[in-house]
Amino acid sequence: MIRQPVSTGTRWILSAIAIGAMFMAYEAISFRQTQKNPKQTVVPGVTSITTGWQKLTTPNKRGETWLVEDVKATYGRLFLGLGLGIGLSIVVGVAMGAYPWIEALLVPPIAFFAKIPPTAMLAVYFVLFGTKLEMFVAMVGFSVFFTLAQSIYQAAKKDVSDDGVHKAYSLGASSGEVIYEVLWKQILPRVIESIRLQIGPAMVFLIAAEYVVGDVGIGYRIRIQSRILNMDVVYIYLILLGASGLAMEWALTRFRRWLCPWFGE
Amino acid sequence: MRSFYPFLLIAATIMTIGCNSRSTTTDPASSDTKNAKGDAGVKPVFSLAWSEYPSWSVFGVAHEKGLIDGDEGKTGPVEDKWGVDIVLKEADYDTCLAYYGASETDAVCMTNMDTLAPSLSRSSVAFLPTSTSVGADACIATDTADLASLQGKPTYGLEMSVSQYCFERNLELQGKTIADFPFKNMDPGAAAQAMQTGQADIQSIMVWNPFVMQTLRTRDGAKVIFDSSTIPEEIIDMVVIGKDALAREGGDAFVGAVVDTFYQINAMMADPKTADETLVDIGKKFSSLSLEDMKQVVQQTRFYATPQAAIDLFNGETFQTKTMPQVVEFCESHGIVASKPTIGFDDADAQVNFVTKYLKPATSK
Amino acid sequence: MDALDIRHVSHWFGDHQVLHDINLQIAAGQIVAIVGPSGCGKSTLFRAILGTHPTKAGEIYADGERIIGPSRRVGIVYQHYTLYEFLTAKQNVAFGLKMDQTSLPFRCFKFFQWQAKRREHERLSAAFLDKVGLHASVEKYPIEMSGGMRQRVAIAQAMIMKPKVLLLDEPFGALDEATRSDLQKMLLHFYQENLAAKRNGEIPPYTIIIVTHELNEAIYVSDRVIGLSQYHQKDFKGSTIVYDAPSPVFHPDDIRDFDRFIHQRDELRKVVFASDDDVNE
Repeated sequence: MIRQPVSTGTRWILSAIAIGAMFMAYEAISFRQTQKNPKQTVVPGVTSITTGWQKLTTPNKRGETWLVEDVKATYGRLFLGLGLGIGLSIVVGVAMGAYPWIEALLVPPIAFFAKIPPTAMLAVYFVLFGTKLEMFVAMVGFSVFFTLAQSIYQAAKKDVSDDGVHKAYSLGASSGEVIYEVLWKQILPRVIESIRLQIGPAMVFLIAAEYVVGDVGIGYRIRIQSRILNMDVVYIYLILLGASGLAMEWALTRFRRWLCPWFGE
Repeated sequence: MRSFYPFLLIAATIMTIGCNSRSTTTDPASSDTKNAKGDAGVKPVFSLAWSEYPSWSVFGVAHEKGLIDGDEGKTGPVEDKWGVDIVLKEADYDTCLAYYGASETDAVCMTNMDTLAPSLSRSSVAFLPTSTSVGADACIATDTADLASLQGKPTYGLEMSVSQYCFERNLELQGKTIADFPFKNMDPGAAAQAMQTGQADIQSIMVWNPFVMQTLRTRDGAKVIFDSSTIPEEIIDMVVIGKDALAREGGDAFVGAVVDTFYQINAMMADPKTADETLVDIGKKFSSLSLEDMKQVVQQTRFYATPQAAIDLFNGETFQTKTMPQVVEFCESHGIVASKPTIGFDDADAQVNFVTKYLKPATSK
Repeated sequence: MDALDIRHVSHWFGDHQVLHDINLQIAAGQIVAIVGPSGCGKSTLFRAILGTHPTKAGEIYADGERIIGPSRRVGIVYQHYTLYEFLTAKQNVAFGLKMDQTSLPFRCFKFFQWQAKRREHERLSAAFLDKVGLHASVEKYPIEMSGGMRQRVAIAQAMIMKPKVLLLDEPFGALDEATRSDLQKMLLHFYQENLAAKRNGEIPPYTIIIVTHELNEAIYVSDRVIGLSQYHQKDFKGSTIVYDAPSPVFHPDDIRDFDRFIHQRDELRKVVFASDDDVNE
């Protein structure tokens, strides 16, 4: 029978087994590679973490370290882009959910652009926005915008019943108040959830763009270091990306629970 | 217990992944050993990774023409003659380097500069120089009259590659201070596109063909500030095999077959009857360039069309005492290699060993 | 001045006639029950009274003023409570006061004045919740309350605005028998307040229209029963008022004896609902 519950202890053990298996699988691959070539650096052993960390944190002639510069660049671009995308999608999404004529107007282009993978549009972004910070911000912002605007406007349409809206008017609310006090407050937890889901894809697009353009950033560093087979640096950055992604998701979930205690999971 | 079967499935999956075979070619690897072209039943298999570039696309053309068969298990006449099975793996350049570094391929087409980093962990034998850049790498600038006015403006190109090497060598030759001319990283394709679409802040790029030709054609006012024609025979495109692979049974025969194939195609390029057709075929495998474009390309990427030309290069004093040390110095000072690999000429202990003994004309054996 | 004046209201969708020439005057202090079979246009009529979906013909006046859109003159309680999930009971009930007495700019820029007003609203709101018996649940979110509690909150939410007319759209349909009888008694209490006001010469505060399927409930709770039906023998299509008569007034402490009005109930059923052989298509 499915869905038989397991105890918390069993859960911990199974999780530990999975993580242990991951490490073992990595070591197995590394071992196999070392069999082929004892001096290989493509799949280094776990000790590579220390060498990679040193390379990342040793200051160069100008006192900068790769780790600091790359993190500043990449996360700066990510947050600026996310800010743009989120701000825009909230405004547009709520407007579309509140006013059917706006929805009818904007659904075709938004639905269409949401389907085009932003990585395929890299060349277009270069042409339109150049190759500096504006391009990264625009790319992250717009790639997040199309999908997020759709999620928000659908939540705005479905999460609040017509009855609730009518009642608000009968209680003396103006249209602006209905949009903010009823619509927005009701969909807020869903908006936060949708944002949480967009962080991963946003990072994907950003790294893809950094692979091609730029001389600082995590994507750039991974590309250049892979070329010269310094995979220890690459793996540290991968771990960093994974861990920070998890941290951001956790933070957003906590934030949502604090802000919207009434929202059942 | 009923939950045993899912466990069995998972265990089987892990074992399959762990023991997966090494061949991941773009051509489907066929395990069919009996076929019309030749019986590859007992021939040793060696892999050669190549990317689109004039003198490396030659191998793709050889497959098309039937001289060799790049699929595993199938062989062409050249492979039969030498008694080996050559497997071709086509990928983009960076991926080829990764294959070689991960021992996923026995031999690879790469430049002399890019051989240094992998050789620190995998000793390499360079056995066939295929071409040299004589203008195929160029610095193109817009709104800039000459080199002097380029000072202070950033030039965009692929960092830690032959582009940067060519850039700095040219500055050196003109007596300029390298620090005055900033070099910033950008994918050459993106840099070329940026200049072609007229982006204001990309005023100088350092790229290779076909981007050089495309940009000069498309962008008004774009001109070449300098190119690799000032440093002929410093940037060498070649075929390299891992020392470990060479030591396997059939390694010598494999190298001989590759050399043989290369010179046969070059002979076709020299023969007036087949020259144009061969150029067109190569052009198809290099950014789909036309015949006229290819004629220009092979002037800028000068093939080592005969064994003698290749032997002269590797044995030349300039190459041995000036060019390679310079390249090694560049790589070390720019952090491309953590330490200097040992360079040797017919020296079996060197990490990068340039050998000439396989460079025989096509008609031998 | 009638609390609610419905004049010649008709509505149709394309060829389909929903309401035909509805005329109804309701005085202040009445609790009117409207009963009718499915599809008799009760929702359409309610939406017209609420003002969100005006009808194609006819006018509706609340306290002398024409209804052209939703306003605080007409309040509504829906069958499915429709409380705001993100507000506590107290905040839900205070919601109308907040919307009606302040505006967004006020709440933004005159923050401290707003805080003072908010405390006042919440005090009033808590008092009202006390009145409907929810003293212990003021800080609970709707998700933490039972159906009956939520419906009381919804009623308090509407009533605190002192609307001229309060509409109850099948308010107890989703509740169990015990809760339903409690809430019916609550309505009877409100009627007693109306009577007390009339004795003092004041305008009775609660004018209620309740729509319900349950004939017993309709007659028990109200002092006037209206039958709305599309099954009538007249020569036009669409629903119209087929029954309009007073119903006995119960005191909350009286025994709930539905046999007292068994005749009225049967009469109502015959007139309003279709029997098998005279269904009008």
